[in-house]
Amino acid sequence: MSDIAVKAADRAAVKDNFTEDWLAVIIGVLVFALALFSLGGTDLLGWAVTTSVYTDIGNALAPVAKAYAALGGVTALLLTYVALLAVLSAGVAALGADVRKFALRFTVVFAIAYASWIAGSYAYIAAVTPAEQQKFGIAWSLKLTNEGGFIVALLSGLVIANFFPRFAEWLKEAIRPELYIKIAIVILGATVAVTAAGRLNLASSLLLRGVAAIVEAYLIYWSVVYFVARKWFGFSREWSVPLASGISICGVAAAIATGGAIRARPQVPILVSSLVVVFAVVEVLILPFLAQTFLWQEPLVAGAWIGLAVKTDGAAVAGGGITESLIMAKAAAEGIKYQPGWVIATTATVKVFIDIFIGIWAFILGYIWTNHVDKRADKAKLSEIWERFPKFILGFVVVFAVSLWLAIGTTPEIAKALPSAAGEANVFRVIFFILTFFSIGVLSDFRKLWQDGFGKLAAVYFVSLFGFVIWVGLLISWLFFSGLKPPLA
Amino acid sequence: MSFDLKTEAAGRAVEPLLPVEKKLIGFSLGLGLVLLVVLVALNHFVPVKL
Repeated sequence: MSDIAVKAADRAAVKDNFTEDWLAVIIGVLVFALALFSLGGTDLLGWAVTTSVYTDIGNALAPVAKAYAALGGVTALLLTYVALLAVLSAGVAALGADVRKFALRFTVVFAIAYASWIAGSYAYIAAVTPAEQQKFGIAWSLKLTNEGGFIVALLSGLVIANFFPRFAEWLKEAIRPELYIKIAIVILGATVAVTAAGRLNLASSLLLRGVAAIVEAYLIYWSVVYFVARKWFGFSREWSVPLASGISICGVAAAIATGGAIRARPQVPILVSSLVVVFAVVEVLILPFLAQTFLWQEPLVAGAWIGLAVKTDGAAVAGGGITESLIMAKAAAEGIKYQPGWVIATTATVKVFIDIFIGIWAFILGYIWTNHVDKRADKAKLSEIWERFPKFILGFVVVFAVSLWLAIGTTPEIAKALPSAAGEANVFRVIFFILTFFSIGVLSDFRKLWQDGFGKLAAVYFVSLFGFVIWVGLLISWLFFSGLKPPLA
Repeated sequence: MSFDLKTEAAGRAVEPLLPVEKKLIGFSLGLGLVLLVVLVALNHFVPVKL
């Protein structure tokens, strides 16, 4: 079976124990560290490009810091591209990839992805409030906010995957959604900390409620999906474990970790992973809009729900970003202006909590399988917990802790300057989100669903996801987050 | 990759659920529901402070 997703996941990059996770930690922390120089008055990242809502494309791009305004938007864009190309090329070289191939393909990926982002910022797509429409002199808009660009990037990738498969295959060296989203999540630690520092009580409450996500994903979802796969669809144990993990926990990483733990053949979790990616795309295209329609008065329920229902880190956290912008837009239209950052922080918190236990769950399954199910297999070792721990979470925790300390444990001057520094780092978080959305689209070849044999796998996924996971996730999000509102801006 | 998914998905003999699998499903679900009730209670008695 030819399958880009399989190859991409297969490549999940390991060279001398240096993985994409560690690369994400290094790049994410590097961006954060460079942004922190602005606390001392030296702005090292102010040249990075941002995009504003526009009707005249000449006004769309600009450097993020006013001090760099003289550069102009196009130069800022080129500098941003060159910087990302240099850092990522060095990174993938360390992973053992072909740098020349990567550089050429990354150039194309960046160009299409950022063009999608610019297209999504067009006022007819992005303008939200009547005041904004008036400002741009337009009578209507899709009201997607400028983060509608994520959806444009996703759709661009989907078009390439489904109508230009050879081009998609050619791009694959630079299609690394897991790497891009992990870098973005590490950088997100700064934004989450700055957001949390403003409301420590609310933030600690979010953490407490993150525990519920672990219980739900590992104990409730997993057992039900495993039962459905085994009993109703007759899948073997080798297929059912990665399938249950992929649908219940955290898509690709969980399917591969638990598949490895029970000593499944490598192809099995990888095929399950490609299915997870396809369904995650469907969810990201649907759930944020449902959340905007039905949950806009409960923004944190919506954020938690997206974190529980969408089954890859990339799609979930990115979906949380779209949900936040859609809900904030709807609330703004009703005259309620929430502080930004809380919905996506809820999604990320839920997702990070779930991710932390992948290694432990894989070890538990490995122990049961190698001692009670397949006694011939080599025994599961405790060291596998660390081996399977998603290391990028360490980067998130470090960035979060340092930012929180700077926000509440240092001088008022530093605390005051921190949001601006985190904002500059956040520019890169957004760019890595855009690259993630586009990459997920390119990996989502819907024709796979029609291939012989894939339908039965998809059926388990469909039944579990839409018949159980989404609704139980909604119920539990409601139980723990209803009534919790983000602070007003 | 020489891997025939059609055969994999449909052609294998059905493996009956082993007792250890039944235990895993039962314990997971039971523990999950108990913990969920505990957390809901905790959520009720330790309300969110803004």
